[in-house]
Amino acid sequence: MNKYAVEFKGTKEGVTIYCLEGADFTEILSDLAAKLRQRASFFGDAEVSIDLGNRELTEEEREALITTVTKNSRLRLKSIHSSQEKAPAITSAKRQGEMEDLSLDGFKEGRALVIKRTLRSGQYIRYPGHVIVLGDVNPGAEIAADGDIYVFGTLRGIAHAGANGDRTASVVALRLAPTQLRIADVISRAPDHDDLPDQPEYAYVQDLRILIAAITAKQNT
Amino acid sequence: MGEVIVITSGKGGVGKTTTTANLGVGLALAQKKVVLIDADIGLRNLDVVMGLENRIVYDLVDVVEGRCRVKQALIRDKRYDNLFLLPAAQTRDKNAVSPEQMKKLCEELKQEFDFVLVDCPAGIEQGFRNAIAGADRALIVTTPEVSAVRDADRIIGLLEAAEIKSFRLVINRLRPEMVKRGDMLDIDDILEILAIELIGVIPDDEKIIISTNRGEQVVTNANDSPAGKAYLNIAQRLLGETVPFLDLYQNQSFFSRLKRLIGLGG
Ligand SMILES: Nc1ncnc2c1ncn2[C@@H]1O[C@H](COP(=O)(O)OP(=O)(O)OP(=O)(O)O)[C@@H](O)[C@H]1O
Ligand SMILES: [Mg+2]
Repeated sequence: MNKYAVEFKGTKEGVTIYCLEGADFTEILSDLAAKLRQRASFFGDAEVSIDLGNRELTEEEREALITTVTKNSRLRLKSIHSSQEKAPAITSAKRQGEMEDLSLDGFKEGRALVIKRTLRSGQYIRYPGHVIVLGDVNPGAEIAADGDIYVFGTLRGIAHAGANGDRTASVVALRLAPTQLRIADVISRAPDHDDLPDQPEYAYVQDLRILIAAITAKQNT
Repeated sequence: MGEVIVITSGKGGVGKTTTTANLGVGLALAQKKVVLIDADIGLRNLDVVMGLENRIVYDLVDVVEGRCRVKQALIRDKRYDNLFLLPAAQTRDKNAVSPEQMKKLCEELKQEFDFVLVDCPAGIEQGFRNAIAGADRALIVTTPEVSAVRDADRIIGLLEAAEIKSFRLVINRLRPEMVKRGDMLDIDDILEILAIELIGVIPDDEKIIISTNRGEQVVTNANDSPAGKAYLNIAQRLLGETVPFLDLYQNQSFFSRLKRLIGLGG
């Protein structure tokens, strides 16, 4: 039997029970019952919600879940929901401690340098990971990152993402107006008009060219 | 105790010396005790602009090398009793002074003067390092040109790195009619890049050239020189007063926008 079919997490609002990815429903019920009994006195009559991860429940299964909670504890069940509705998917990934069980579309991991100010002309940042700037990157400033570059401000300087050769790296800015963009070994310069974009954009490599697209709600960079 | 303000720009010829001289006189007019230090060693000209060239006996290098006391090197202005100049050496180069020496000198002058204004040389090398060494605040001068703004940005980065936390921007030589035609950077464009507080905008004004050639400053003729008026306003803002910005554009909507940007009322 999978010992880790569910996990508990206490928050200010109460308790959340996570149903882990990959566990089957009977495992969830038995693990849940066991853990509830163990912790019944600890949790008392706190409010609880159940996070189902990616799974869909039949009406019957839902009933079974509710019965398990009420039979084994005094917890007050507030909601049963799936991750898509509420908790971010990363939660279940983290909980399992391994990303492989999850679709990795749109996921990227790695260390990052956070710069909480504007980079000015003549300032140069080289970092072997992602770089996140909370500010502008002015003309004459340059960032070279082995990972992605995210600018929460206007990027007017030079940005080199994937500087160690990673063509899947990307550059994102609230206003993307760089002097020059480089991703891995692909280089592009600014168009010769100087209109600032009015929405966040990201730059990525496709067919050995750097393309720029607006950031929309659903995308895979 | 007074404060030390360095006037700097990065790019050459944008109006550092003109600004130092005019603000010096402007603050002296407000009865403050002011000393101007010409830190542009080897290329001095604050003395010429102030019309005091023929009175120089000792200079900055003499002071730091101990050949005279500070008091002996200070030249009193012709018109204002409370305004002094510490001239640069003309025959030496910037390496004749170290940042530590400048810092000590500024500390000393600050005891006696309300304002110590340091006229910084162009560039970002030793001369710049010396000029900012003792500064509490900085005024960054730029003109509405892309290259000057770029250099100002570089300077701001260096000032931040040098832990000078307070700096404000002077935009010099603005030509409103060129901005209107779209041929010159607008104040908004400059502020958007530099993102620092504006302390004043000086219009391009031929009276500046006429008066500096005479060793006089336009700020004394604020009534018939727009640049003089603008400098007087900056001097007052340095003294902590709130002075509305000049309407160089005769255009209300532009300036209400500007004021919102720099956080002055309305
Ligand atoms: N607002 C202005 N209108 C017209 N002329 C100006 C104005 N400001 C400065 N000038 C002129 O520009 C020239 C350069 O000014 P100034 O010497 O003050 O610059 P600077 O920054 O000190 O130069 P440097 O870097 O060489 O020390 C001078 O001839 C001056 O008279
Ligand atoms: Mg000068």
